[in-house]
Amino acid sequence: MKGIAAALLALLAAGCVQGEYNRITVDEPLREELVAPLRPGVDTLAQCLAQLGAPHRVFEYRVGQDGTSGAALLWVWREAAGWGVDVSGGTEEASGSFSFDLTNTDLPGCVLWFGPDLVLERWQRGTLGDLLPGRQRPSAQPAD
Amino acid sequence: MKTTRSLLLSALLLLPACALARQDTNEPLDAALIRSLQPGKTTAREVVERLGAPTEVVQLGRRTAYRYDASATKSTALILLLVNFANQDTRTDRLWVFFDENNILTHHGAWYGTHRPQYAMPWEDVHEAEDNAEADAERPGVGK
Repeated sequence: MKGIAAALLALLAAGCVQGEYNRITVDEPLREELVAPLRPGVDTLAQCLAQLGAPHRVFEYRVGQDGTSGAALLWVWREAAGWGVDVSGGTEEASGSFSFDLTNTDLPGCVLWFGPDLVLERWQRGTLGDLLPGRQRPSAQPAD
Repeated sequence: MKTTRSLLLSALLLLPACALARQDTNEPLDAALIRSLQPGKTTAREVVERLGAPTEVVQLGRRTAYRYDASATKSTALILLLVNFANQDTRTDRLWVFFDENNILTHHGAWYGTHRPQYAMPWEDVHEAEDNAEADAERPGVGK
């Protein structure tokens, strides 16, 4: 028993195993009171950009046979905090490099969908898993 | 003497260490420059001449949208013997410019956040309205 305690203490003292409490925040949530007044069928892309500022990502949406397309605008943010055990002596989370991983389906976000006329069709808040289901890279098309 | 040495050694082992780090990606966006963009007049070529190469170009049917962005991360850590506390706060500047099929600017939206990240411990409140207002006031072209 004493041997195990000594080994554990040695690991802790060497920094190989440490408890940690981390908080990570990336950008600010899109506040409900900003999004709620938006009027589907009425508000335009210009009005929404003026109200909400720039999104994090823009995607092609509802591409027509005639080459017209709408747009889906995504806002995403992250607020996470919690306890953990660091076994390696360093954490990737604290590495400082920044990039949203849009495959992380648990991230909260908000999407606004605009039709080809760039008038707001609808908006939804939720997790990326709900907001961007089945999104995939468009197939490459050879130039005419 | 032996007791004093033991006490000093214990104190040294238990003394906390603090770490601060900052990481920036890309130059913050120039609010004055962005305000000079004129929908219906400014061309994609002029945007690129003024702002440089975009981070991303998205095809939206016959339209296109360019993304410009920058990020700033401030990290804080309190390193103790058995447990670490860390906070990482990231904020971004974002600009989306939308062009029609003739590469004329139709819409643009910007968000400025790289001046807002804070050094803080994970239990501290950050990004309260007053904090943001104070930071905004110090950034040319952003504060009202």
